[in-house]
Amino acid sequence: MMNTVSTAGAPRVKTGIAEFDAMLRGGFMKGDAVMLAGSAGTGKTTIALQYLINGIKTTGEGGLYLTFEQHPDQIYRDAKNFGWDLQKLEAEDKLRIVFTSPDLLMGEGDPESLLEGPIKAVNARRIVVDSLSHLSMFAKNDDIRQETYRVVNFFKRKEMSTLLIWESPQVLGQSFSISDVGLSFLVDAIVSLKFVEIDSSIRRAIVVLKMRGSDHDKSLREYEITKDGVKVHASFKDYQGIMSGSPTKVAAERFAEAFREAAGKKGK
Amino acid sequence: MSEGDKAPQLPENLFNSLLSSSGRADLLLLFHRNPGLIDTVEGIARRMGKKGKAIESDVSELAKNSILQKKKVGNSDVYFLNREKDAEAQRDIANYITNLGGKKKS
Repeated sequence: MMNTVSTAGAPRVKTGIAEFDAMLRGGFMKGDAVMLAGSAGTGKTTIALQYLINGIKTTGEGGLYLTFEQHPDQIYRDAKNFGWDLQKLEAEDKLRIVFTSPDLLMGEGDPESLLEGPIKAVNARRIVVDSLSHLSMFAKNDDIRQETYRVVNFFKRKEMSTLLIWESPQVLGQSFSISDVGLSFLVDAIVSLKFVEIDSSIRRAIVVLKMRGSDHDKSLREYEITKDGVKVHASFKDYQGIMSGSPTKVAAERFAEAFREAAGKKGK
Repeated sequence: MSEGDKAPQLPENLFNSLLSSSGRADLLLLFHRNPGLIDTVEGIARRMGKKGKAIESDVSELAKNSILQKKKVGNSDVYFLNREKDAEAQRDIANYITNLGGKKKS
């Protein structure tokens, strides 16, 4: 079949969000660097934590969460709302939340000496970088790609599957542009999280924009943040223009709706 | 005062270091709440809403008592919590408080 990459046998890294893993045809490719982009409130941290916890609980892969701005005590507190006890996982040497400054990784910094202790302590195989946006702010303009490339390659060399969070500034509309970011070539996969306005309410959409070496679901799927974490639902098949943030119903659905309304009136 | 009337003692260095300065107590609290903090003096100070100079001596004191460890990352000195030593210090303080309670009862 054209445009379909055979992925049989390729080791996958499951996120633990069943419907999302199905969109990824079984999970991210092992060892890949994945960009998770979205504006504030879209659930990037929740997905990232679910990804780490799933690795710990299902395959025994140690996890590392690298945060530059958000204090770990806030992350512990927020995770508890989902029933995830991160401090217990740290005490069991399965997880480390590293709180540091981006300049210790970029420029004259050194990821090896900064992270070797935490990586060894939990035998980390999965890492979340929160966020790539902060990291790139600390590189000089000309060096952003080169410096980010160096850091991403450090994780690849350590055979770690990496989730890089990208904070999109725009809440609605075209909140993520690959060309604007300019770092898309560095990552193997890109997942975008978006708010969309439908019938005067805000809903959330997830889409896999790129997945190097693998087929993936091309549709925009609705998702919600529940008390147990993120749940992905069906695609917005009755709407078009989801990426714009203000979708409209497709013509066929508008026709069907008009027909249902007319039938309803006739029945009265 | 007889030997038995003496209040329970914490190891002197530890007591002086941890409890004699509010700045050091703030630092300890920051590291206890965020045990994965690895940063320069300036970076640690930023998390506390302070300037590096304001915490420099307290960081050095905690490092001298091995509660914090220091290492080189690139050209910078970074500090992080010595989890083993910290757990030991917490045990000592807990014992001290327990014994203090026992003395008061008798």
